[in-house]
Amino acid sequence: MNRVGLGRRQLLQSAACGFGGLALNGMLADTSCAASPLAEHAPHFPARARRVIFLFIAGGPSQGDLFAPKAYISKHHGQEISSPVGDDGQIRVGVDRFLPMAPVAPVRPRGDAGLMMSDLLPHMSGVADELCMLRAMVSDNKAHAPASLQFHTGHIAEARPSMGAWISYGLGTQNENLPSFITIHPPSGPRSYGASFLPAIHQGTPLRVPGNDRDPAISNLRDPSANLQIQRQRLDFLQGVNQRLLNRVKTDAQMEGIIESFELAFRMQAEAPSLVDLTGESGETLDLYGIGDGPSDRNGRACLLARRFSESGVRFVQVTMGGWDHHGDIAAALPNSCRGVDKPIAGLIGDLKRRGLLEETLVVWSGEFGRTYWSQDLSGKNPLVKHGREHQQESFCTLLAGGCVKPGFVHGETDDHGYQPIEGRVHLHDLHATLLHLLGIDHEQLTYPHNGRDHRLTDVYGNVVDEILQSA
Amino acid sequence: MQATVIRYCGLPVFVACLAVSLATADDTATDAGDAFFEQRIRPLLVEHCYACHSGRAKKQKGGLRLDLRSTVRSGGESGPAIVPGRPEQSLLISAVRHESLKMPPERKLSDRAIADLVHWIELGAPDPRDGTAAPSSDSVAVDGRAHWAFQPVAPPARPAVRATDWPRNALDYFVLARLEQAELQPVADADRYTWLRRVTFDLTGLAPTVAEIRAFQQDTSPRAWHAVVDRLLATPAYGQRWARHWLDLVGYADQIGTSNNVFAEHAWRYRDYVVAALNADKPYAQFVREQIAGDLLTPETPVERAAGITATGFLVLGDLEIVEADKAKLRVDIVDQQLTKVSRAFLGLTIGCARCHDHKFDPIPQRDYYAIAGVFHSSRSVFKTDRGVWSDVLARELPETAEQQRVSAEQTQRHQQRLTALKAERTEAERQKKQLAEENNGADEATEGKQIAARKKQIDQLASKVSQLDRKIVHAEFFVPGAPRVYGVEDIAKPADMQITIRGNPRALGETVPRGFLQVATTVPAAIPAGASGRAELAVWIASPENPLTARVAANRIWQKLFGRGLVRSVDNFGLRGEKPSHPGLLDHLAHRFTSSGWSQKRLLRMLTLSRSYRMSSAHSPSGHHADPENRLLWRMNRTRLDAESLRDALLLATDQLHRIGGGSAIPLEYLENVGNIDPANVNPPSFSLSKWRPEQPFLRTLYLPVIRSSSQPGPAELRNVFDFPNPSEFTGHRVTTAVPTQALFLMNSPVLKKHAAALATRLHAEAEDETQRLELLWLRVLGRPIRATEEQEARAFLAAVGDGAWRELSHALFASNEFLMRL
Repeated sequence: MNRVGLGRRQLLQSAACGFGGLALNGMLADTSCAASPLAEHAPHFPARARRVIFLFIAGGPSQGDLFAPKAYISKHHGQEISSPVGDDGQIRVGVDRFLPMAPVAPVRPRGDAGLMMSDLLPHMSGVADELCMLRAMVSDNKAHAPASLQFHTGHIAEARPSMGAWISYGLGTQNENLPSFITIHPPSGPRSYGASFLPAIHQGTPLRVPGNDRDPAISNLRDPSANLQIQRQRLDFLQGVNQRLLNRVKTDAQMEGIIESFELAFRMQAEAPSLVDLTGESGETLDLYGIGDGPSDRNGRACLLARRFSESGVRFVQVTMGGWDHHGDIAAALPNSCRGVDKPIAGLIGDLKRRGLLEETLVVWSGEFGRTYWSQDLSGKNPLVKHGREHQQESFCTLLAGGCVKPGFVHGETDDHGYQPIEGRVHLHDLHATLLHLLGIDHEQLTYPHNGRDHRLTDVYGNVVDEILQSA
Repeated sequence: MQATVIRYCGLPVFVACLAVSLATADDTATDAGDAFFEQRIRPLLVEHCYACHSGRAKKQKGGLRLDLRSTVRSGGESGPAIVPGRPEQSLLISAVRHESLKMPPERKLSDRAIADLVHWIELGAPDPRDGTAAPSSDSVAVDGRAHWAFQPVAPPARPAVRATDWPRNALDYFVLARLEQAELQPVADADRYTWLRRVTFDLTGLAPTVAEIRAFQQDTSPRAWHAVVDRLLATPAYGQRWARHWLDLVGYADQIGTSNNVFAEHAWRYRDYVVAALNADKPYAQFVREQIAGDLLTPETPVERAAGITATGFLVLGDLEIVEADKAKLRVDIVDQQLTKVSRAFLGLTIGCARCHDHKFDPIPQRDYYAIAGVFHSSRSVFKTDRGVWSDVLARELPETAEQQRVSAEQTQRHQQRLTALKAERTEAERQKKQLAEENNGADEATEGKQIAARKKQIDQLASKVSQLDRKIVHAEFFVPGAPRVYGVEDIAKPADMQITIRGNPRALGETVPRGFLQVATTVPAAIPAGASGRAELAVWIASPENPLTARVAANRIWQKLFGRGLVRSVDNFGLRGEKPSHPGLLDHLAHRFTSSGWSQKRLLRMLTLSRSYRMSSAHSPSGHHADPENRLLWRMNRTRLDAESLRDALLLATDQLHRIGGGSAIPLEYLENVGNIDPANVNPPSFSLSKWRPEQPFLRTLYLPVIRSSSQPGPAELRNVFDFPNPSEFTGHRVTTAVPTQALFLMNSPVLKKHAAALATRLHAEAEDETQRLELLWLRVLGRPIRATEEQEARAFLAAVGDGAWRELSHALFASNEFLMRL
């Protein structure tokens, strides 16, 4: 194990359960280790950001329509061009011919820095000067599930810890009454927020934001039938039974762990409900996030909750906003998708800024991949105006804000087809490395032993993208 | 926040499969240099240079090899690649800077990588890779035979002990001898209640019933313990319990891959095969052979042949990325998974590391990986479908007995009749609809307004009936009964050796490696007949008593499930990075007994559970705790927390709701509600969406509930999400046990616990007259022992304080207690 702030050897010497079992899968995750696994740790070097809010724009948002139009594509709109794609062994469905397709709405320079942004994102355009745009992002798989998995864990197929879990493991928590990693509306399945071989306490706590103010956002946070007094009586009786058993067996870290977990759960019952209760927010704030406004209500609530959790010390908060898989009729569908996120995201960035939180909070906006600049037609017979776009992991756009990355900055460029990076290529592993770097973690040193080797979020890859960092 | 800068901590922090012996790590200059090489330089050379400049490149470009210390120094056609200590004079540096040659040609290395190379040469280019230009790696395997796990199984004589009255059977001598050596004493035996609850959970995954507890208490015979073990091993519950242990190693799910909720409608047959094999005490060697090559064995009866084909589900029921668009990559990734699974489950090795390079810790050269990979590469398990990029898993038809064929034929006939009836019904509804429409067309709005409206309503009803019938018809046409099918593998027409894939890339190929087995664990080269894949031969090699790993790994897994930890705690890793056995003699004794008893798991379990070692209590002992706090020497029994399955099953059992019989399909695809896309023209594969459960499913043993990869475990299986059910995309012989607040929240507040508590309170009132009897019964049902006097006082006080619903609250408290959650 190589948690931040402790070398392996120091850890071995100091850990209560340092029995040389480092090679043994999961041994340190077991409850046989009594030390609090969420205690806060110092980073490797001074951190620029303390927390992350990851806005996962699931489905593959179209970078050509939103942020990075191409003159060549617009010029050849609807005209068949020769294949820009080499023999890469990939099957392409619904792409019999390569038909460039111009952006479905105008894309213009915004703010002082002139970042390009679609008319479909009027509110985000208003915070363009806070954004750092990576225009040559690369990942490794064309299908949603593996690509999404890779975005979250660095790996396409194998179950690995999610980046939120790595960060929780590396830095610990800033608020011991709350989980250190919360994921709102997680994309399909626990693998996107799993701790895998890391101690399970680092797993993300999944949360569904109810569309109203009544329903609980965290499972089993309330006792549906008993009142608090009865619940406490029951808990006291139970803890008495537990304590007597513990006295009989004298020592058992696992039993102690369970006893403590009940007390933390009881504390969470007290602290978490007020945190997820948005009724105290002002009308101005609700409006800032687009809450109460049909299409953006759900994402607005999620983004506001993300800000509240982040402000309370939750290390990694993720909000997933789906609905970007535009294989067909993108001209009609994209504006709807944009309406759902534009105000919530702009509201979040603006709110963080005015509260003075943006500098120490890194906001990441990204899909698992982008979309092609040429069209796709699964039916094979629709007119171009009804076409969509195919997945594209060879290059896409990711936005960053806060966390001491350069604001109003563009990094990276792709070829005329918007297909391959020609400059400033940033692989997903590089993004992960940079994220950890901003938090004060050396991505090569944040390791955990599993199955006979040391694992990292970045596996054997990853370079920090120095070009986008503000000078310290 | 306090900032601490730590660079390397004096230790090489990362490299894939990096060897660091913590106890002996030495900070001499050589080690630091070698560490730097391993950490920074080797991965860089492997990734960027080996494709053209190594022994595995088809032709070394420029005559240069960078995979050996000697050839880096001697160089290629352009002269030495490096001058140690002089980066500015080293050709390698000017080449990577694109100043002389441009290397790598396609993309310049990062500045950091170049800086690392410069630093490395400044250090004098430390390079631990020895060997000459001759193939170097195979010698690794031969040297590795010294490792204990690759030595032949050698059961020692029974050790002598001082306390000769303690052992009950042979294995106890091994345990006691180690304790006496350390001047430790075993703790006292567990009481009867504790032992019965322990052995019942361990063998069947269930708690003992009140009747079973009373029967055991009343059995005064010295054979009472034997009778319990024999009874438990004979119940179907035994196979149900131990099958789940096995499925953990398989990555079993009722879903294919993870994307798009593709149902694996035949997967359950493999699960039921495992249950049946265990209940029948099928010899482990045969169990192994069938799962690797059951389709190639030539058994006599259709039933055995069907079992053999079903067993190969082992190779394909993991998480396959069937949506991978690059089919060449999919193929080598599946081979990798099969190899990883086979080597971990049966051999306790992590061979997967050798996919990209010689294993860094274990004596497994890369050639060995491809020797075995060639075997699986010569088999087929998925195929490309007509739907978009999707592949599907091969579903093989099973041979049937005459009786099965007769039943099948009847089913088919009934199904056809139903389909015909549905279609007739649809035709009739359409006819009526048309007729009504015609009547309306001819009707006069003014005079027949009412009738027209009535007919319109009827037409709407018929239209909705038609669309419902359409769904039923599509469903019936999709799920056609026929010969049972299972997911499995088959040999391809032309089995062939495999080429090394450089860093797993199916388009960057190195030399061809003849198919074979692990050199380190074998003395005779593999003989694979022409035209065969080699799977049958591999199966025989693994399932041989001479294989030093197979029996040891199996015996150790069984030990782990009974004693909480393996004799080798790293149950999935017997390699050099795994742990050494705490009792090597005992492990070999068990492995030998296992093979010589015809690989009978039941006989091994009987021996283990009837031992004195297993009968020890889990109580504390100051001297034991002081000398051996982790209980490596077994001075007491280890306590374990119940796993998700046992926990849920125990809740059901305590409230008399458990169905002990189960099997068959897990996802109720017979309900239209649960079937998503089954349209054959859809670009996506058939899918499920779970919303409706069979009436009995909430009461089935957890084993029989659906296992899903794409979401949390659904419906009645939700408890799995909370209590450390392993990710069904992983293969693991060891479940991690955690204590996190979400579990406590679940136990405190979830409706599941409330419901069971209420059900139990109702049972107590139905079965017992007064408070005393109810309390006695409550403790027996939940904790498997009688209530103690102090507990009775506290419980009465609690009941009085709570008032309404007090019995439910008390039951709830006990269900959340450590004693219920733990097996002591």
